[in-house]
Amino acid sequence: MTDRLERMLNLTATLLDTRRPLTLEELAERLEPAYPDEKTARRRAFERDKETLRDLGVPISVETVDGLGGEAGYRIHPEDYYLPDLGLNDEERAALHVAVTAVRLEGGSAQAGLRKLGGIEGAAAPPLAHLEVTPALADCFDSVAKRRTLEFDYRGEARTLEPYGVVHRFGHWYVVGRDRARDAPRSFRVDRIEGAPKAGAAHTFEPPPDVDPAAFLRADPLSYGDEVPIDAYVLVDASRAAWVVDDLGVDAVTERRDDGAVVVRLRVVNRTAFRTWVLGLLEHGEVLAPPLLRADIVGWLEALSGGAT
Amino acid sequence: MSPRAHAAARLQRMLALVPWILANPGSTLPELAERFEIDERELEHDLELLPMCGLPPYTADRLIDVWVGDDGAVSIRLAEYFERPLRLTPAEGLALLAAGRALLAVPGSDPTGPLATALEKLERALGATGGVAVHVGSADHLDALRSATDRGEQVDLDYFSFARDEMTTRIVDPGRVFNALGAWYLAGYCFRAEADRVFRVDRVRAVRLTGNPVEAHPSTPGSAGDLVYHAGSDDLRVRLLLGSEAAWVADSLPVESRKDRAGGQVEVVLAVSGNAFLERLLLGLGPSAKVLGPPAASALVSAAAQRVLDRYPES
Repeated sequence: MTDRLERMLNLTATLLDTRRPLTLEELAERLEPAYPDEKTARRRAFERDKETLRDLGVPISVETVDGLGGEAGYRIHPEDYYLPDLGLNDEERAALHVAVTAVRLEGGSAQAGLRKLGGIEGAAAPPLAHLEVTPALADCFDSVAKRRTLEFDYRGEARTLEPYGVVHRFGHWYVVGRDRARDAPRSFRVDRIEGAPKAGAAHTFEPPPDVDPAAFLRADPLSYGDEVPIDAYVLVDASRAAWVVDDLGVDAVTERRDDGAVVVRLRVVNRTAFRTWVLGLLEHGEVLAPPLLRADIVGWLEALSGGAT
Repeated sequence: MSPRAHAAARLQRMLALVPWILANPGSTLPELAERFEIDERELEHDLELLPMCGLPPYTADRLIDVWVGDDGAVSIRLAEYFERPLRLTPAEGLALLAAGRALLAVPGSDPTGPLATALEKLERALGATGGVAVHVGSADHLDALRSATDRGEQVDLDYFSFARDEMTTRIVDPGRVFNALGAWYLAGYCFRAEADRVFRVDRVRAVRLTGNPVEAHPSTPGSAGDLVYHAGSDDLRVRLLLGSEAAWVADSLPVESRKDRAGGQVEVVLAVSGNAFLERLLLGLGPSAKVLGPPAASALVSAAAQRVLDRYPES
């Protein structure tokens, strides 16, 4: 096993050091511990090393070697390999150490990243938060950083997104950006992307200069939707008033009644989400206006109360 | 760990270790072991391997030169090609930024301190300025509960139980405050339940400090794993037929069984923690979910629909 580790270190060093792509045959002549002599076994051993290195993020590039009948050659371009100097000081490294110990993410990638930035500095923090990681998230983030478009299926529809950022909210990760076909800002739950998203070429778009991905997801899940906005007024009993005001913010309150009940205004762009929200209050909430939304709730409930379930 | 995964993990570590030693010659073995979270024995193995590595033809002037002084100070020469660490992978960059952004969003963090400047440098290097945002959620009583937890002081809470749709008052020995699934939680021993409980901080309506220290309890307070509702044997089980619009229930809620039916419908058995939970769920799902049994569950839902309808007398 140490032999293989040694060879992979030597392979990395050789590919970084070379000025021209090296064929497998050239590598086999040079490298120690040696690859097997037999061609199939040699190729298999090399492919396995290459795969392990690529999984670690080592950017091995495959190029055609001139004058050798188009044979594949391998090298690592130093500029693709070397981490630029971030200029972190010890205090900043210590702060990152606190962050990755206080906020736990699955997979251990944060710890591996921290080692590249100079390892552990200062004391660890007790765990304070847990963030789940969705499989397609790193791909989405990579596309944000490299300005690649993302193509994926979402609820059975093909989408092309210019991704501006990834945002965690309400316990889920979202990728936000400009939906090309709709020419409008959109957000998508990363765990609902069907299959692996396909990334386009790098640097094919530029986000607007003052874009704030965090602002794509407003505090209130009711605001996702693309229906013509309607203002709804909902009466909330005193027993639930404080909770609803916390949820929507004081600006939503249009009336405070003597018994402690409040009337709140909501901008409805998604009637299903609105109905679910109002019914979440059970008998402690009532849609006052407009008549259209009031009738919608009544019709919905009549179907349920009549023994239809 | 498989031998293959072990080799990969070791290689990954060495590709970070060597550049650090090159940039900080004279770091000692204990310092390096702590910095890279390995024991000194493993570190020595790594350092013993390095002098066998280098560039062809592996003559003395092409092999990595490692020496460890009597004082444990480590130096490396002839490894210029490893002078910089490997770039961060997308997963590593994302994880560092997500952890940092989450901590920075916690009320009380310094928005211009070393964490903020570290994240700015990292984002700039990755070309992802503003590209990762984490909302941790806010809650009125978070500060009061965090400081009571740190002091080990018993608290008296007004708490809204969402599953039962009722307001409760309870004495709690706070054990831990943490954030998970985008919300704040308090884990501790609840004297009303006489057991460890996890509370959502945004459903805490009032916190009264009792001045009493927390008592010792036999079990330890919970972690994020406890947030998942565990059905008790007495909890109501409901059999539902979900249409395609309600099929997310089968994926998002902890159903005890599921069977796919014709036309994309799914039949599930769901254990419910309180009547109000079931009422909200089924009023929200409406015609896309059908209660197959027991009859008590159907009766509960039509009664709830009628109670809400009573607020709309014109109908």
